Amino acid sequence: MRRTYEEINEKIRRGDAVVMTAEEVIGIVERDGIDKATKEVDVVTTGTFGAMCSSGAFINFGHSEPPIKMTKIWLNDVPAYGGLAAVDAYIGATEPRQDGNIEYGGANVIEDLISNRPVRLRASSYGTDCYPRKDIDTYISLKTVNQAYMYNPRNAYQNYGVATNSSERTLFTYMGKLLPHYGNATYSSAGQLSPLLKDPTLRTIGIGTRIFLGGAQGYVAWEGTQFKTNSTMKNGVPSSASRTLAVVGDLKQMSSEFIRALSFKNYGVSLAVGLGIPIPILDEDVMRSASVRDDQIFAPVLNYAIQSRTRKPIRDVSYAELRSGSIEINGRQVKTSSLSSYAKARQIAETLKKQIAKGEFLLTQAVAQLPEERIQGPLDVHSQDEVR
Amino acid sequence: MTIKKYLLTFNPEIVGDPVTYRIVKDFDLMINILRAEIDEQGGHLMLAMEGSGPQIQKAVRYLEDAGVNVQELKEFVRKDDVRCTNCGMCISICPTSAYQMDQKTWKVLFLNEKCIACGMCIDACPPGAIRLRSQD
Repeated sequence: MRRTYEEINEKIRRGDAVVMTAEEVIGIVERDGIDKATKEVDVVTTGTFGAMCSSGAFINFGHSEPPIKMTKIWLNDVPAYGGLAAVDAYIGATEPRQDGNIEYGGANVIEDLISNRPVRLRASSYGTDCYPRKDIDTYISLKTVNQAYMYNPRNAYQNYGVATNSSERTLFTYMGKLLPHYGNATYSSAGQLSPLLKDPTLRTIGIGTRIFLGGAQGYVAWEGTQFKTNSTMKNGVPSSASRTLAVVGDLKQMSSEFIRALSFKNYGVSLAVGLGIPIPILDEDVMRSASVRDDQIFAPVLNYAIQSRTRKPIRDVSYAELRSGSIEINGRQVKTSSLSSYAKARQIAETLKKQIAKGEFLLTQAVAQLPEERIQGPLDVHSQDEVR
Repeated sequence: MTIKKYLLTFNPEIVGDPVTYRIVKDFDLMINILRAEIDEQGGHLMLAMEGSGPQIQKAVRYLEDAGVNVQELKEFVRKDDVRCTNCGMCISICPTSAYQMDQKTWKVLFLNEKCIACGMCIDACPPGAIRLRSQD
């Protein structure tokens, strides 16, 4: 059968749409089969809540009297990028505080803003004829700024590697604290609830797709950085880190329930972003992918003791095994931890489901599709001639 | 039967006394040593005592009379359930499985009675939801 976006939105407007979370639909497909489930269900909602380091926000502060062309900007002592006209800035999530304290950074500034806490703004300038002022020291909040929108260059990774550590010492990584001698393993995907794993070739997700972002309605802006399509597939799903999304949304509409600053010892700060995408069930193929289970989705186990970009996986594990609490590595059971919150992922999928059922969230057809083929190149040290 | 956890602090004068032996023999308590750091400068001993309530009380009095500083560890770490995102990072870090994932709600449970106050979880929690009680 075929179903169009218009038909789905018409049903949403009437309050008749059948919406299920990606977790709930697994049971429906098991009970009724793909064909019947496709007829029954209009929309499947997904969700994820995890550390997404490549995140940040654009802010316009408004003009001071006399005006200033801010060249150096600090928000709560965290440097923000100010090479954008006079009073625009970009605060990146992983930027640490100026004083070397890596436990507070851009992610905390973003969380402080969303929580309506005052944030100290300091800026300096060389002064121009049109912008004579040379410095300013004041407080701002989400209420005082003109625009504040999150623009995250890489979110919602389609799958991600599992981290472990063969070495003799504890490693402190962006994948958390990794105990020596394969003492634990950490993973970071919502698996069967994760948005891009439920539409693996992005048939229904592209530029302009309306999404749930940090509690607000946001949009897919572009392909995410490090977007990659040439991964090995297992059960129709990439079995390692693949596609990503660049997303945009209004910070003023977000909630600290779905945006949280994180701190990883010796690594620095990151931002936990809550993101959900509704998948329109256009036909049986979309339903087949949307109902893939944790035991069908695999991720590579990587040894973070090897400090190289070319780490060979120790093995592939399913999310069902990861979620059981331990995985087998070299014949031993190793305890697992998730860095992505499954409870929050579920809450996001449920919230999105309710919003759609109430007619508050309509589905969008992508304005343009994301790349069908994309490989990811490395950074090597080259001469000028080699890169021409 | 009662189980209580204590942090014992010794000064250099009494590190030679076999206090653990006396607690076992004189007060009929089961002792589980959780952590020990003692040298000629003194040190700390963290242990769990299991036995009847009155016997544990007597043992504590004996230790205090012997010059040991005795601090009961009722709640060494505290998890802020608002700050906690229920990711579960703490689960694989904890050597005694004091953190467990509820496989129905996918929320992290903290079982205080299993905690041996090693502090491993504190710097492992990404949202900073776990704190030492002394930092409250």
